[in-house]
Amino acid sequence: MNLLSALGYAVFERTADGSFQLHGAVPDWLPAGQLQDAFPFLEVFLPDAEEFWANPSGRATLYSDLWAQDGRHFGAIAIAGEQKFLLIECAERRFQQAQSFVQYAHEASLAREQIVKLTEAKTEFLARMSHEIRTPMNSLLGMVELLSETPLNEEQRKYVRMFQRAGDNLLNVINDILDFSKVEAGQIELENIEFDLAEVLEEAIEIAAVRARAKGLEISSRIQPAVPTNLIGDPGRLRQILLNLLGNATKFTEHGELSVLVEKQEEGTLHFAVSDTGIGIPADRLSTIFDSFSQADASTTRKYGGTGLGLAISKRFAELMGGKIWAESTIGSGTTMHFTARFLLGEGTSKLVQEAAVPLNARALRILLADDSEENRFLIRGYLKDSGSIIDEVENGAQAVEQFKQRSYDVVLMDAEMPVLDGYSATREIRALGATPVFLLTAHAFREARQRSLEAGCTEHLTKPIKKAALLAAINKFVPISDRIHVAVEDWLKPVVGGYLEKRRGDITKLHDALDRCDFEAIRTLGHQMSGTGGGYGFEPITKIGSALEEAALAGDSARIRASIEDLDHYLSAVQVE
Amino acid sequence: MLKKKICMVGQFGVGKTSLVRRFVDSIFDERYLTTIGVKIDRKDVTVGSESVTLMLWDLAGEDDLAQLNASHLRGASGYILVADGCRAASLAKAVELQQRIAGQLGSLPFVLVLNKVDLRDRWEIKDAAVAERGWPVFETSAKAGTGVEEMFLALAGKLVE
Repeated sequence: MNLLSALGYAVFERTADGSFQLHGAVPDWLPAGQLQDAFPFLEVFLPDAEEFWANPSGRATLYSDLWAQDGRHFGAIAIAGEQKFLLIECAERRFQQAQSFVQYAHEASLAREQIVKLTEAKTEFLARMSHEIRTPMNSLLGMVELLSETPLNEEQRKYVRMFQRAGDNLLNVINDILDFSKVEAGQIELENIEFDLAEVLEEAIEIAAVRARAKGLEISSRIQPAVPTNLIGDPGRLRQILLNLLGNATKFTEHGELSVLVEKQEEGTLHFAVSDTGIGIPADRLSTIFDSFSQADASTTRKYGGTGLGLAISKRFAELMGGKIWAESTIGSGTTMHFTARFLLGEGTSKLVQEAAVPLNARALRILLADDSEENRFLIRGYLKDSGSIIDEVENGAQAVEQFKQRSYDVVLMDAEMPVLDGYSATREIRALGATPVFLLTAHAFREARQRSLEAGCTEHLTKPIKKAALLAAINKFVPISDRIHVAVEDWLKPVVGGYLEKRRGDITKLHDALDRCDFEAIRTLGHQMSGTGGGYGFEPITKIGSALEEAALAGDSARIRASIEDLDHYLSAVQVE
Repeated sequence: MLKKKICMVGQFGVGKTSLVRRFVDSIFDERYLTTIGVKIDRKDVTVGSESVTLMLWDLAGEDDLAQLNASHLRGASGYILVADGCRAASLAKAVELQQRIAGQLGSLPFVLVLNKVDLRDRWEIKDAAVAERGWPVFETSAKAGTGVEEMFLALAGKLVE
């Protein structure tokens, strides 16, 4: 008992009447009074202790949790046996130990929470920044695209090409930063779709070849015969890795060639090797070039440009695909970047091939365009100007909903962020009114933004800067082909357009007759009449068909004449005056 | 004198111990000290004409490894669910604890406390998320003393009703 007292325990014997008898001297730390009054904690421990004393189940001791009161720390221990004991421990040392361990874990956990929050805040900031940058970029790149379609002299064309190239470069940098922030925030999720490896490789080579050939470099690719090309995986990310590696290879190579080799490793794993004959990477930097913001030589940032994120992103993508990335290099002779990735085997025709086969024809549609930015509306108008589409423009979501109630549309193009009513809310209201395809146009590139659009009921989410081809591809994909071609005609012309179109329908018979007679002069005259009048009535395609007929008649080209008559027939049967 | 046991429960680091210290000793300490086991304090208050001794059982905060020891709740007359307004997860933890405690002790008076109102500009917990539960809610700052006494006295009032 003396030993226990010396160790800092007050020892009580639990007597048969349920009271507690102190053995030995009263420790100076023991509060005066009845045990249960002195230690309120015992009201929760004693019921457990009584149960334990009654049925110890082969155990000798039952420990309580520690507790603190009046600035001191205590613990209790029930001891079973022939006699029953309750030890009260002055547990300062044990408390301090326990507290230091748990506190360490809690502080680490709180710090981690802070880091997660900071990372989220950074990702959010980057998403916002990218939105702010993409919105004006959309206008800039779109205007350049439109400008490139206008008549330009050689010098102007050169400037426009430089403008386009610089814009594309800037967009790549922004995309790199975005990708990296998503990788860092763990927000990258891979797609799992069927694709054709040969197509992906070919596309990457085609894109890379533009720059490589401009530097006089040869570029080639080879897929070994054993490699299956019908795969299931993420073709977009695979293409991105290849483009990153080919981009670097081009950047750091002045003479010689670039090549890509794909071979089969173990089952389901492919090995890609992108080789160049460039400046090479020093041996001591081979492992660090995959770190973020790293380039083999800091001075190369100035000479060769780049964010230093491409390889870090590629590494992460390769890892997400179940593979790895590494480099081999000899200074002065070149570098081979290797990566592996795992894929499942696909079946049948790949989706990519099917998608690539969709022609990008602009169609004449009735379109509702809601965007508060005059520049963006101008851009979309420009993209669709040759299609013969009628575009009704509004400046906010509320106006879009009102306008949508007034008439039917083939497609609605909706900016995401507008005053009064935003694009998401307006889409929800439009969705309640009908199933017309709605494309949400937004500068937000993150996956959550796409999810938000789809949840609002949008048919497609188009990320700014929107390219003409992307807009037309979306229209071709989602807008059902309608037989109607809507043409808005000015009010004062309406009484006469019926007769005008009727006359043109009569021309079809005349044209066929003239063609049978090989009377090209009659065809030219009819074409000339059409080209001179169509546009004036609001039927621009008739003017175009007329000009085509005129040219074909002058050339005596019966096939082209027949095709133009078919175009005219098709147009006249579909046109609907508004 | 009437004696009532009140348990403070919630995620670790939300400020349970600091709220009790502010209420009992009118002190706030910037240092974070993890509570081990239970810290027991008493405070005599007057509710209406009634003098009550509040036995404040400050239970170690829950973390991923250690769960609340349910036996510590024995004999409680009411409890205080504490969440940190700056940590959305702490509200989820408070909600989970309420369900567990109600399952074990039945319907006892309780209040929900959103602490650290002095850092309101950093709050993650939205008013709507709290309001939808229809619980009695107090916004407090153990650091500045805001709302602390009102909160304890409001619960004490319920306990002597």
